[in-house]
Amino acid sequence: MPRRVKHRKQQRGRLTGQAKGGTTVSFGDYGIQALEPGWITARQIEAARIAMTRHVKRGGKVWIRVFPDKPVTAKPAETRMGSGKGNPEFWVAVVKPGRIMFELGGVGEELGRAAMERAIQKLPIKARFVIRTEQEEVHV
Amino acid sequence: MAEVTLIAEPGRATGTPESKRLRASGRIPAVVYGHGGDATAVSVDARELRLALSGDAGTNQLLDLQVGSERHLTMARVIQRHPVRNTVVHIDFQVVRRDEVLSVDVPLILEGEPKAVDREQGLVEQLLTSLTVQSTPGNIPNELIIDISGLQIGDTIRVADIALPANVTTDIDPEEAVVVAAASRVAAEVEEIEEEAAEAAAEASEAAEGEAPEAAAGGDDSAGGEG
Repeated sequence: MPRRVKHRKQQRGRLTGQAKGGTTVSFGDYGIQALEPGWITARQIEAARIAMTRHVKRGGKVWIRVFPDKPVTAKPAETRMGSGKGNPEFWVAVVKPGRIMFELGGVGEELGRAAMERAIQKLPIKARFVIRTEQEEVHV
Repeated sequence: MAEVTLIAEPGRATGTPESKRLRASGRIPAVVYGHGGDATAVSVDARELRLALSGDAGTNQLLDLQVGSERHLTMARVIQRHPVRNTVVHIDFQVVRRDEVLSVDVPLILEGEPKAVDREQGLVEQLLTSLTVQSTPGNIPNELIIDISGLQIGDTIRVADIALPANVTTDIDPEEAVVVAAASRVAAEVEEIEEEAAEAAAEASEAAEGEAPEAAAGGDDSAGGEG
């Protein structure tokens, strides 16, 4: 989550369209690409990172390419409506289809795929494992 | 580098709906420009384009583009892709001359097994995956090979270390790192633990040394008190 923000509360916004940037594996050899739009919470990002690094055990490097910079508010339980917007409860990263959320490098394809499949299980949206070299090929 | 012939149809309708229709019919919208000429909207067959750009030279392939009755020597410059499907949605062809120097990205390929790094459970990190080089169209290398078999932990291969073919230059900073062999997290953790253990042992020995004279001094005092 950000250290400091200009405004404590944000409007929810719309999740339309596809990712405008960050759609290619740029740092590592493999990536996790979002196939659906969604909000990824800071906890989910951390859970996915831990799942990936634990499976890789040694070697390897992980890049996280999404940042939870959007505060989500919630009203306390059993509260009557009104009296303004609730308090910020957690932080999310807004993700649109095509976005590369995580990257992994320095490991073999088999291990990388297994680690990233575990990380995908921690995410609330459909996602897939992608390989940089395959992404660079010309598909029509 | 031998060029590949690609046939482009001029006079396509521009705009999103027309382009979508074109893609659905198996063609890719494209544009041809360069050397002061007007940009021409064209379309190419999707399958032919894939075959043309899937050779050894990849997307740096020289293309003999036939646009109606005209022929242009071109290169694919900007390849726009769909964010999810990764299919090519539009392509720019730039007209080039055989004697002009072009700036192109050439993939950097790592070759060899870094046994010394593997033995110490290190990590070989490739920071640059392609290098921008300047060359005439005929001299553009398909790829640049970097041998990493002799790499040791802590070693860095820089742009200056890459052997470029004759008539090929680069503007990239020669000191920029391309490949780094670093100790892995596990190795670093083991080192930290060893260092901590050594520090703890050193502190313990210092404390033991400090206690002995204090004890001796305390004994004297007590002896003095008693006396």
